[in-house]
Amino acid sequence: MSDVADDRRQKPAALAAIYIASIILVVVCLFPFVWMALSSIKKLPELFTVPPHWLPADPTLGNYWTVLFNSNIPRYFLNSVIISGGATLVALLLAVFASYGFARFEFRGKAYLQTFVLIGQLLPTAAIIVPLFITLRYLHLINTYWGLILVYTIITLPLSVWMLTSYMRGIPVDLEEAATIDGASRLGVLFRITLPLAMPGLVAVVVYSFVTCWNEFVFALVFAQDQSVKTLPIGLAEFSTEFNTDWGGVMAASMVMTIPVVLLFLVFQRLFVGGLTAGATKG
Amino acid sequence: MGRPLTGLYFILPAIIVLLMLIAYPIAYTVYLSGVDAHGNLTGKNYLNVLRPVVTRQAFFNLIYYVGGSIVFQVILGTLAAILLNQKFWGRSAVRSITLIPWVVPGIVAATTWAWMFHTEFGIINYMLTGAHVIPAPIGWLTNKDTVMPVLIAINVWKFFPFVAIMVLAGLQAIPADLYEAAKVDGASFWEEVWFITLPQVRPVLVAVTLLLVIWGLNAITLIYAITQGGPANLSLITPIQIYQLAFTSFQFNEAAALSVLFFIVAAIIVAIYIKVIPSNVEAAK
Repeated sequence: MSDVADDRRQKPAALAAIYIASIILVVVCLFPFVWMALSSIKKLPELFTVPPHWLPADPTLGNYWTVLFNSNIPRYFLNSVIISGGATLVALLLAVFASYGFARFEFRGKAYLQTFVLIGQLLPTAAIIVPLFITLRYLHLINTYWGLILVYTIITLPLSVWMLTSYMRGIPVDLEEAATIDGASRLGVLFRITLPLAMPGLVAVVVYSFVTCWNEFVFALVFAQDQSVKTLPIGLAEFSTEFNTDWGGVMAASMVMTIPVVLLFLVFQRLFVGGLTAGATKG
Repeated sequence: MGRPLTGLYFILPAIIVLLMLIAYPIAYTVYLSGVDAHGNLTGKNYLNVLRPVVTRQAFFNLIYYVGGSIVFQVILGTLAAILLNQKFWGRSAVRSITLIPWVVPGIVAATTWAWMFHTEFGIINYMLTGAHVIPAPIGWLTNKDTVMPVLIAINVWKFFPFVAIMVLAGLQAIPADLYEAAKVDGASFWEEVWFITLPQVRPVLVAVTLLLVIWGLNAITLIYAITQGGPANLSLITPIQIYQLAFTSFQFNEAAALSVLFFIVAAIIVAIYIKVIPSNVEAAK
């Protein structure tokens, strides 16, 4: 890792260009969120004023009150936590073993199996949504937590295996070999030596899986039609009817579902970005 | 190390789950696409989805959407990465902020942009009319000439950060002596970008571009949440057509036929991805 520009003294003109470009970049990235936040504390009549006001004349928390106490959003929040957490754990459990197998063993057909996992990662969800629906309906898993957790495993498992395998390859085998000589079993080695060393990789996988499930929309649209299992992305649509949209409510609900993701991301950013780029650049 | 089968035992549970959740549905889709409602073999489903003009329109819209998005995602993402690789005060904060559009839920991006592009009360029409860029408010999401470009712009905003982090990781892996050599030769900043940076990050760019193609082919959320394919199917793309065939018209067999056709196109792209990536990475080493 070397920073290209580290050893170069910036000329004032170049530095000015850098700052101007950075400001443009930051404004482009953040403006929708600023507007979302401002809209979420405006009253409905003010949202529907022409021309629009930049700052709310009479800021209110009324939209948040509606979202938190007069809507299904809290329930959907809980559903999202359960489903995203469940799918993350199922994928993690399977991926820990699979990636250890890929990273530490040689066996026939390994390349094919790795390709198969990669294909799972790249598969268009739209192409398998119909048979999944029929199968889940046959198993009575539509509108259940388990149904959604299972289909979300399609998304989380391949990526978890992919990221963890490349992380485990980076851990030196010497320690494991020493433990094997001391008589530790394979599983003992995995759980007592490899996994603690792979902790940053595990965290990256957990954050990525959780955020991906939290944000997922299409599967939820098909497999969670009942209020008891609907997730936040689907719940957002309930603020719109055919003729009218409660934009204040939508914006407040958007804030409620965005803040956890952004916090999670900012806290674990280093691990998250490291794990992702390692998976992509090293394969 | 270990007996030859030990590794397989570790991998087996994950493979079984993936087979159940991926291989089985694919096989079942192929079966569904070839039978009618009573389970008799028929080719009608394919004819019924191929005949209407709307199928072709949805496919061309999809190509337009994915192609248009990727060009700008790659260009803007690479420029952002080059910027974020410079040394300046506040760089790490700007790096974090750049990633936020990519991390937020797609549905949140969709609704917020839909609100900003609102014809009457949207801030974008207000700013543009105020600055006299446009004489009167535009119905961005209902006008046939603007709906696709606007959707592409929103999609670019959502995913260029991903290109930026990937390319940034590639930039950081470039050995510094290459730049030092170029400086000795008196290369300008843009010459360095063109002759050193871009060739060095080419493998990353290829990998990211193909990943964007796959995601793009798959991207229902933004368009479905903003326009549902409208107005008059102008922003309808194939994945949304499959969804509507299956869950609005309940034509499961026709939806399966369209899925198979769509899957073949996607599979060709995935095959190219798997073939191209390793050779590219090797070439770069």
